[in-house]
Amino acid sequence: MPSQMSDKSEFFMGARESVPLALSVTVYGMAFGLLAPQAGFGHGDVGVMSALVYGGSAQIVAVERLISGSVAMAAVIAGVALNLRLMLMTATLQDELRGRPRWQIALGVQSTTDANWALTKGAQASGRAVGYWYHLGGGGAVYVAWMISTLGGSVLAQLVPAPERLGLDFALTAASIGLLRGLWKGAGDMAPWLVSGAVVVIGMSVLGVDPSLAMIAGGIGGAALAGVRGLQQEPQNG
Amino acid sequence: MDNVTLTVLGLGLGTFAIRLTGYLLGQRVPQTGPWARGLEALPGCLFAALVTYLLLQGQGPEWIAGALAALTAALTRSLSLTMIVGIGVVLLVRGL
Repeated sequence: MPSQMSDKSEFFMGARESVPLALSVTVYGMAFGLLAPQAGFGHGDVGVMSALVYGGSAQIVAVERLISGSVAMAAVIAGVALNLRLMLMTATLQDELRGRPRWQIALGVQSTTDANWALTKGAQASGRAVGYWYHLGGGGAVYVAWMISTLGGSVLAQLVPAPERLGLDFALTAASIGLLRGLWKGAGDMAPWLVSGAVVVIGMSVLGVDPSLAMIAGGIGGAALAGVRGLQQEPQNG
Repeated sequence: MDNVTLTVLGLGLGTFAIRLTGYLLGQRVPQTGPWARGLEALPGCLFAALVTYLLLQGQGPEWIAGALAALTAALTRSLSLTMIVGIGVVLLVRGL
């Protein structure tokens, strides 16, 4: 176990360890940067949106809506729906954020993405004493990658090769598998994770529900099993 | 305001609100018992759901690459190695 780390070294540790994730984020960022001009975005709009929203799939979905002729409201709703899973993620940041000044709480929640959040939770799952600054460091590194790649994609649109040709469209999936491994705490995780996966498969393939909804239902379904499961073993103390 | 500006501002505000609301709602969850256990299990479950969704988007090559990436992750616990194997295998299988 590491002894007391300074905030600064914890921040840079988080930034360093999220470098592989920045690659998968970069692929996504390029895709957004290529897409956005088709919806009438200038380079400045791309930069402001990436800086403010900082949510990859939601930005892509919103822009796709605009390209297919939706009004702004519909585009915002589609993006927000996809981002609802972030609510489940920041709900688990209690230990990291409790008792901090408001600006740090705002910064902490706003820097939360799938990538750095899973990295932080995975590091904690393996017993490392990392928290707020590690999470923020990872968020900072991913943020830099996101800004450069979205702006780069929109400015250099003609020069960027198709990610499929380099297999890079698989980077996000491969990174997510690696992050999932980090979140594994033991055999007790098996049943909840299988439930989560099954809910997504049934939701999308059988019931045909929206993917973002299926994902949220899957996450909650597995967590519900994990929560209820321990009830029999709890001491009956009224 | 035009469509682009409205979308940028709307999604920016909406996303920040989602992130903050999640934290505030999580504060109200009891520290012990089933709710706490559920919240504790949530990261892994949510990511299991995300990986399932991503794999459902793919087909044969992505499933093979996903399986070998998962094997690499299980054995090495290395994020970068998992990504290298996954991307490498997907390229290889697609090229066959």
